[in-house]
Amino acid sequence: MPFLSHGSYRIRYELDGPASGPTYVLVNGLTQYAELWAAYRDALIARQFRVATFDLLGQGTSDKPALFINQDDQVAALGLLIGELGDGPIFLSGISFGGLIALRYAIAHGARLSGLVPMSCFAELSPQLLLLGNAMRTGLILGGTSYLQDLLLPMNLSDQWLKPLLDKLDGVKRQGWLVNDVYALQNLMESFLDFEPLTPQLSSIGVPTMILNGEFDFLTPRALHETLRVQIPDSSLVIIPRAYHAFTLEKPALTADLLARFAEDVLAGRWQGNKAVWIAPEEAGGELAPFPSGYDHLRAIPMPGTNP
Amino acid sequence: MSEWFGPLDSEHRVPPRQQTRVAAFLISAHGALARQFAFTLPIKFESAWQTELNAQIYREAEIISLLLRATSWVPDLSLAYMAASWETAWFPAPVEGIPDRTLAAAAGLATLSHAVHAGIRPAALLPVQANANDPFVTALRRVEFESGRLLQAQSQFLKGPGLLPFRGAVSATLERRHAEIGRLWAQALQGVGIAIPGTE
Repeated sequence: MPFLSHGSYRIRYELDGPASGPTYVLVNGLTQYAELWAAYRDALIARQFRVATFDLLGQGTSDKPALFINQDDQVAALGLLIGELGDGPIFLSGISFGGLIALRYAIAHGARLSGLVPMSCFAELSPQLLLLGNAMRTGLILGGTSYLQDLLLPMNLSDQWLKPLLDKLDGVKRQGWLVNDVYALQNLMESFLDFEPLTPQLSSIGVPTMILNGEFDFLTPRALHETLRVQIPDSSLVIIPRAYHAFTLEKPALTADLLARFAEDVLAGRWQGNKAVWIAPEEAGGELAPFPSGYDHLRAIPMPGTNP
Repeated sequence: MSEWFGPLDSEHRVPPRQQTRVAAFLISAHGALARQFAFTLPIKFESAWQTELNAQIYREAEIISLLLRATSWVPDLSLAYMAASWETAWFPAPVEGIPDRTLAAAAGLATLSHAVHAGIRPAALLPVQANANDPFVTALRRVEFESGRLLQAQSQFLKGPGLLPFRGAVSATLERRHAEIGRLWAQALQGVGIAIPGTE
């Protein structure tokens, strides 16, 4: 198991796939760990990508600073990993908290990237997100990791995914409960206490950017992704049908296919962001459809709106 | 070596030798915290945080009482020298670099308490098959759950404004305490066939 060193801390990472291929770097969400990208590793390697995954500081097998975890240190850790990848094309993607770290990296070191894919992501804390984050932190403190998982599972996954697992949820939660420590999760959450919105810096992201947002994402709804679409010059927004916040867990085949197609389009010179809004297919390999002209993509009911 | 307790008996209970070792370690650690909290508290409270510390004394005592009664004890000759090394490790160690001796001592105790409550996760050693109705299993889950809550007082104190000027010294001491106590915990488990991943 290889590790990178950031000061006195160790960051566990994994590199798979052909060294000569373009690389996808995948950044975990807050309560996640690198093994959750296994399906992406397989799918992307089959498409000739190299795949880099790692545990952020405070997660999984990486070191867990006892008192403070600074988001700048997470960006530095990501930079160390990218530094290991040579000179080939690099596509960076992250979900939720990991998407935020990816955004921060792209703002600071965008020239090193060929493409960026923020998923279920945000550049600022809306009042709803701030209060939900506070409530989740309180839940973690009072009820432990297990209670936080109990909150997140129904909020972030669909009935279709949950229903067959209802009597096996303890098993679903167990690995996350084992690898996550209360104090480390709390430190990760508290790295937002001095958070400043990234919105004013988003326009400096010059790389092609595909923003992925679940249709029913309750935790980070469309409006938060809209900020990214409007501010990042070469971006487009892709809505994942029937998906919630954690669609990377629920729809790995579709999401990995979208990631691969985005990178292939960028490398072939076919990518055009145009700040367009698209609807992803239901299944991997299907066609993306433009959001219907004349309707407001920020509404949940078909209301007339400005065509983006 | 295994990451989990076991092999479990026919009723899916943890082997008594492992119960004894783990309970002895936890009683030693939480007992030290209870004693040191008790000595730290004045007869008459002067600050709001002392009310939390008062509550912690009784929670630590509850953990000890619970483990004493829920554990299937067996003789363990290694405990004699191991307990001596544990008790030595719990000695009060004020955080260096803080001129106010009272504050340095309080911060030192908080680092010990943080390391015990955050770093020791006995319930994470229970395999899926462990008998949920066994008192020892329930006790370990309760100790770990309660530790997550007890941790908050230390976390707030160590991150608080009073120690802000000494953040570097506090963080360094805390990391050292975590490493030291993690090492002791791993050694204690190793002797009964349990290896915590990453510490082998």
